[in-house]
Amino acid sequence: MKREIPLFITFITGVLLVIALFVPHKPFGQLQQTFNDWLIIVGGFTMILGLDSLLLHNWEKIKRKKEGWISSAFLIASFFITLFWGFGEGAIAHRSPFDPSATFLRYFYTYVFVPLQATMFSLLAFFIASAAYRAFRAKDGNSTLLLSAAALVMLGRVPAGQEVAPWIFAFVLLLLAYYFFKEGSKTTGTQKTLYLIGALVSILLIYPVFYILLHYLNGIADWIMNIPQMAAKRGIWIGISLGGIAMSLRIILGVEKTYLQ
Amino acid sequence: MGFLLPILLFLYSPPTNVRAFDTPDDGGGSITVTWDLPPEDSAVIRYDIYRYEAQKDSGKLAGSVLKGINTFQDVGVKDRVEYSYRVAAVYPDTTVFSEMSSPAVSVPQWFNGKTKAALFILLFYGIVLFWFTEEAKKGRRTYIRKIAGLEAVEEAVGRSTELGKPILFVPGIGMISDITTIAALSILKRVAKKAAEYESRVIVPNFDPIVMVAAQETVKEGYTEAGRPDLYNEKDIFFLTSDQFGYAAGVDGMMMREKPGAIFLQGTFYAEALILAETGHSVGAIQISGTTSVTQLPFFIAATDYTLIGEEMYAASAYLSKDPLMLGTIKGEDLMKLIFIVTIIAGVILETFGIHIISNWFSIF
Repeated sequence: MKREIPLFITFITGVLLVIALFVPHKPFGQLQQTFNDWLIIVGGFTMILGLDSLLLHNWEKIKRKKEGWISSAFLIASFFITLFWGFGEGAIAHRSPFDPSATFLRYFYTYVFVPLQATMFSLLAFFIASAAYRAFRAKDGNSTLLLSAAALVMLGRVPAGQEVAPWIFAFVLLLLAYYFFKEGSKTTGTQKTLYLIGALVSILLIYPVFYILLHYLNGIADWIMNIPQMAAKRGIWIGISLGGIAMSLRIILGVEKTYLQ
Repeated sequence: MGFLLPILLFLYSPPTNVRAFDTPDDGGGSITVTWDLPPEDSAVIRYDIYRYEAQKDSGKLAGSVLKGINTFQDVGVKDRVEYSYRVAAVYPDTTVFSEMSSPAVSVPQWFNGKTKAALFILLFYGIVLFWFTEEAKKGRRTYIRKIAGLEAVEEAVGRSTELGKPILFVPGIGMISDITTIAALSILKRVAKKAAEYESRVIVPNFDPIVMVAAQETVKEGYTEAGRPDLYNEKDIFFLTSDQFGYAAGVDGMMMREKPGAIFLQGTFYAEALILAETGHSVGAIQISGTTSVTQLPFFIAATDYTLIGEEMYAASAYLSKDPLMLGTIKGEDLMKLIFIVTIIAGVILETFGIHIISNWFSIF
């Protein structure tokens, strides 16, 4: 029964919600909203479980003087200060502990919480740089294509990109020509000819690439984002949607039970 | 000013052709009102819509819309009661009323016509899935290509055990109502089972208390299935915070302190995805990520060792359990994808020749 009852509840809830999607008539039309309301109510109560877990976890760390126990002490202290001060000031002075105009809560939110969030978010810029450094390496054909597309999109999306991009790409082509020429001088026969052709093509491409980027960089960046990028994204979305429906049906029909004990 | 009023009334015309009708495909309690804008629409401040109940003289203000808008949905009506409407164009100096509309009655509908295509696809997809599950029941074997990210679970847990380090499983910031979170729990069960076999420790910091409770049960089940319920420690699956960047900071701190040998980033992720993945990379852990958040996938692909892309996450439980019934649904999914690909190609060809059958059919979503 420990499995059967949750499976039965899941089946009934799932079927009702599927019906609610197609039948707007009462009582089905409002079902989704009703279930969402209940989810919020149940979720509110489970927050007590969460707080219990959070405080016990951090208390254990303090008790055992585990690495970083000072952070745990700060957490517990901040929790109780916010709770009591917030309740005290909010409930007494403002008649609501959740009143945003309560001085302490407003101060705490504006000058502690928001800057901390902003600090974490701003770290993303550095992490993007380090991840891009690893990802954008011209190891083979595919990664070179990725690097070129990323460079075009990045330069096409910044104000000075249109002016800078032609020079960057012209310089890269010049370096490429130099590389081919240098490698070609070390070899003989057909290979040498191929290297020299490569060097010649690179030099010949400098002007057209410079011209195209100078005039059409923004359009190229938009085209990459709107056509190939969007096509790939939509392909993934279709897969996710079909996978989601299949998984939902598996859950509703009780085929998928891994989430149950 | 009074002497100017007749001139103003002559200059400003009212909205015309006011129509009221039952809002289609809804659950009742709503009438839609439309009208033609007067030529002086640019001079209008707003349009006031007045509702008149049958056999009652005085109208009530049902609502207002800004200039340039010629439609209004009145949701303050009772079902099966006749209402008529007048629209007043409010100019800076005067207000001009339209003619009364014909009466309209709100009636709840039993079927939402806008979801015809969705219903058709759902029924068809349901039949396909049913057929493949029946075939699986009859013993038909299903081939599923290898999913590198799932194959690597054992390697990651094994490596972590060899290094004597714990395993960190991050279920993302999704709620239990997200299918992705449920898919993540399926993977967690497998990880927990493997960890129990290798006598390793699994740490699961949670964003949502309900997910925490579900994760505790899942890990407990994994340890029990592996025959090592004694190794299960409920305190390793705990609630961290329900704040997005607070969660990222907490998990990052854990990575730096605990130095896990393997990190699983499975679930719904937003901006914190790369922060977590890059920190995980910096501590030298083997990382297996998976999400259905399309915008975060490139970050995971760039920063982690293996990535479950979108639907691969949903296939995880079937793939790992090898249950023929579940594998049958994956096969059905593939057939649907093939049908979609054919439909898209056919749509592109037909649109190129100016035939809009497919796009028209899909536009009723």
